Amino acid sequence: MLNYIWAGLIVSSFLFALGYDANDLARDTFRNGQALPVALAFPQGYDTARQVPVEIRIDPSRYATFYGSHAEPAAGPAASYSGYLVRSREGVQLRFGADARLPEPLATIAKASSSRDKELQGRLVEFAPPEASPTPDSAAAPTPRVSTAGVVFEPVRFVRLNAIAAAALDFAKTAAEIALGLIGVLSLFLGLLKIGEQAGIIYALVKLVRPVLRPLFPEIPPDHPALGLIALNITANWFGLGNAATPFGIKAMEELQKLNRSTDTASNAMVMLLAINTAGVQLVPPVLLLALLGLQINRLVLPIIGTGVLGLVVAISAAKLLGRLPVYRASDPNR
Amino acid sequence: MSDIRDAINLISVFIVPVILVAFPLVGLYKRVPVYETFVEGAKEGFQVAVRIIPYLVAILFAIAMFRASGAMDFLARALAPLLSLIGVPPEVLPMAIIRPLTGSGSAGIVVDMIKQYGEDSILVKMAAVMFGSTETTFYVIAVYFGAVNIRKTRHAVPVGLLADGAAMLAAVWTVRLLFG
Repeated sequence: MLNYIWAGLIVSSFLFALGYDANDLARDTFRNGQALPVALAFPQGYDTARQVPVEIRIDPSRYATFYGSHAEPAAGPAASYSGYLVRSREGVQLRFGADARLPEPLATIAKASSSRDKELQGRLVEFAPPEASPTPDSAAAPTPRVSTAGVVFEPVRFVRLNAIAAAALDFAKTAAEIALGLIGVLSLFLGLLKIGEQAGIIYALVKLVRPVLRPLFPEIPPDHPALGLIALNITANWFGLGNAATPFGIKAMEELQKLNRSTDTASNAMVMLLAINTAGVQLVPPVLLLALLGLQINRLVLPIIGTGVLGLVVAISAAKLLGRLPVYRASDPNR
Repeated sequence: MSDIRDAINLISVFIVPVILVAFPLVGLYKRVPVYETFVEGAKEGFQVAVRIIPYLVAILFAIAMFRASGAMDFLARALAPLLSLIGVPPEVLPMAIIRPLTGSGSAGIVVDMIKQYGEDSILVKMAAVMFGSTETTFYVIAVYFGAVNIRKTRHAVPVGLLADGAAMLAAVWTVRLLFG
């Protein structure tokens, strides 16, 4: 099952990305190579220095006609954007400030841009520079001069294909960081558990929870420490202590693996432990919800506990019932 | 009712400190060399974390690709008419799809929905209950099975997804019943 879901995720990502990109190309979503009409105002006057600050004004209706249906009607361009002109040998470049809140599809173009700081930038065409402004010490306040121009952005192609590649690399890194981030907490609780084992605390716990857990894990011998670890894992989970629950669960898995005859295939007891863990009973509402919803969470506590318990019942029944299916019975390593 | 909640909160505050203190204390009483034993056990922490890495990478990169490709949005749109038949509003669908895949992603969805519909809306309540009553199934599977090098997970994935599905449906219906 996991094989198919995993391959399915990857293959469908590729196909969807390809489809979206082909669609973008066919409809020319980003108007590659065409010039978007803009008006440029120069609040500090215009001169021939290498870099000139500029205020970019985009007329919403012309913007909408230019990008057609691809422009979001609700989120048109803002009244003006601050940016600057950069002169180089290839011509005059218009750059939007890095903090500009751009409408689609400009935002996507900016993200796809090869520029280091992700500023939206394009080449100016049909640009009639205003005459050099009078010297700043002239009596009258300099009125900003406005001139019109067209701006051609870097061509944007295969946005989604680039995005899925970037996402894959990014999350491979994240995964390693998450795992390494666990080292400290894992060490702490695995150390405590070792003491608990040697001192007989786990064994005392086993005797306590045996009547409840035995029916769920008939394969585990009655005095096995796995039962105590499973009890610790479940308790920590239900009280919202994910940090502590993971080491307990991992230790329990290690004990279950000692009882397992296969090195790479899950036993029924493991699937049951996973079932209990993936059903998210939370007696204490997640901290995150508390932070987001504030006191409103009080009215949701009961529904959260109720649906969580229902999920747990379904998970336990499914683990028991699916385990009896011929496919899973045949793959049971301890049959 | 609030008494029970207070009690639960109190217990959750005390569990970790009690474990931290009680285990070494009982160990001392039983004449276990507590410091040496702790270090002996803690040594495993590094190996376990490193053992998990390949499993987590496999799961997380595939999910990240799926999200970035736009397939997720498409799936949500395609399933909407089907699910509205059983009373699930299309707005909470992204939550239902993402929740088993990533915890941070589904938290982001709650934030988005609060911005879009307001924190008093029934849609946000549904999403919050869905979030609170389910788990990131694929992450849990990667970590737990990864720690013992189990690659053939048998019925663990279908079981987890069935439980998620049932809890999601129950969340939608319960919230509708209570606040609708």
